[in-house]
Amino acid sequence: MKNKIVRFAFFAGKINRQHIQLAFSILALAMLVLGIGAPTGSTNPGPH
Amino acid sequence: MILLFALAIGLPFGLGWARWHNHTYSAPDLRFTWLAVIAFLPQLVIAYLPATHQLINNGLASVSLLGSLALFFVFAWLNRSLPGMPILIVGLLLNFVVIIANGGWMPISPQTANLLAGKDILQLMNLGSRLGEKDILLLTQNTHFEFLADRFVLPAWLPYKTAFSLGDILIGLGAFWLLAKPTTKLNSLCTESVFE
Repeated sequence: MKNKIVRFAFFAGKINRQHIQLAFSILALAMLVLGIGAPTGSTNPGPH
Repeated sequence: MILLFALAIGLPFGLGWARWHNHTYSAPDLRFTWLAVIAFLPQLVIAYLPATHQLINNGLASVSLLGSLALFFVFAWLNRSLPGMPILIVGLLLNFVVIIANGGWMPISPQTANLLAGKDILQLMNLGSRLGEKDILLLTQNTHFEFLADRFVLPAWLPYKTAFSLGDILIGLGAFWLLAKPTTKLNSLCTESVFE
């Protein structure tokens, strides 16, 4: 358990502001392309 | 979902390019991201959440879709200086035009829909019915700006079948370029730290 906490603290310490900015940018871009794109895939061709 | 693929390959391409040239990689400096969240919320309800998209009638849903696209346009315009964003804005406008001209939905012909369903789609549903998230089944001769509709399909040998528009192609290219060719600046994210 202590090992896991130490490992978590180690990885958490490596997350910096730029990592968070990258994650938010990718999230915003994903929303953007899903929002403005209009492809229809084979997974969802059914009627609504 | 095919458009997310553009992001999925754009990011490693950008990271690899930066590492190859010994540059630093920085995420695209998007501004007003809260606007993208607000713009996406209506579409989450009317198109993407299976539990809610049937609850809203088509009229209200199409108005919401148009409002959402307008907000996304504002967001994209405010970030137009980023590499790739101008291409993406052109794609957005092409989709916007064809969606407005066809009653608030992206048209798809029965012939194209048949390629996705693998059977006669008209036996399953009527013309004018909603198909997928944002599409509407329309005959080619009844479609305005048909050349901007969902009329392209992936090669038949690919397991994933999807129909997409000219606007979607430009959106995919722009999204790829946004992550593949980011702005490089001092004190930005080092590629090494991303790979660690």
